[in-house]
Amino acid sequence: MDADWAAQRLGEIRTLMERSALYRRALAPTMTGTGVIGILAGLIGWTLPIESGSGFCFFWMTTGVIALLFSFFLIRRQAWKDNEPMWSSPTRRVFQALCPALFAGGVIGFLGVSMSELDKTFLWKVPPLWMMFYGCALFSAGFFMHRGIKLFGTLFVLCGVISIYHFTRESVEGSLPRIVHAHIVMGASFGILHLFYGIYLFLTEPQPTNQP
Amino acid sequence: MKTETFNQLDKVIHEKGRMAIMTVLASNPEMSFKELKEMLGMTDGNLSVHIRTLQQAGYVAVSKTFVNNRPHTSYRLTKEGTRSFEDYINVLEEIVRLNRE
Repeated sequence: MDADWAAQRLGEIRTLMERSALYRRALAPTMTGTGVIGILAGLIGWTLPIESGSGFCFFWMTTGVIALLFSFFLIRRQAWKDNEPMWSSPTRRVFQALCPALFAGGVIGFLGVSMSELDKTFLWKVPPLWMMFYGCALFSAGFFMHRGIKLFGTLFVLCGVISIYHFTRESVEGSLPRIVHAHIVMGASFGILHLFYGIYLFLTEPQPTNQP
Repeated sequence: MKTETFNQLDKVIHEKGRMAIMTVLASNPEMSFKELKEMLGMTDGNLSVHIRTLQQAGYVAVSKTFVNNRPHTSYRLTKEGTRSFEDYINVLEEIVRLNRE
């Protein structure tokens, strides 16, 4: 018996503790479904078209709620199939990590909905801000999840930063596009990014193995 | 001194499988049999035997409830289990420290 042995065992305990605190429910269907909802919403908003600022915020807040309910349903169904309580401790941790940034994004949305006359410059900042807050939420949740969630969150933050820079410049130059194009930005970011990430998860999903 | 310290290691927890169960339960307030099995890659029989040993030592408590009208068994560390696990880690750290000196 030597120190290496004891240190190795302490290392095993630490690794197992970190691993056991991770959220493990299947993310692929949730992400893919959210992606499809995002793309559909982008197309609906663009083709209708929803042109008012408060209408835009209300439409995308509703889309967000639908996507959340859809994810909730999938998680609930998986827990039910596995005969497990839905609010396992990893699920609670992920939920708590998501809350602050999602709440901040929600406040921005409510501001947009409640204002009857929305400044176009403000409105074009809403999608980038949502991207950044959502990215922060995913990044926080990434501490209790695996499979690239932190990277996915970072991608959203980067998209938000790039688009806020772009739209601020266009605003200064007085060449901001019509509000209806913001639906395309939302559909392309929230929809396509989720869809691609969902496909990536499906393709790389570890297959269950039967342990002897 | 080293032998004395080594003797302080809790033999119930010291077995690798039981140590893994104790570790997972120490970082999660409650876990089901299925969750433990998936997490640790143990067979049903192996896991049951280790859990029974930990239960007999008073380290793990079992609660049987119904989830979605189906029986659900979950496990958690008892106060004694938590204390013993902390002691076990302290002894391991002590061994590492003594060997460094």
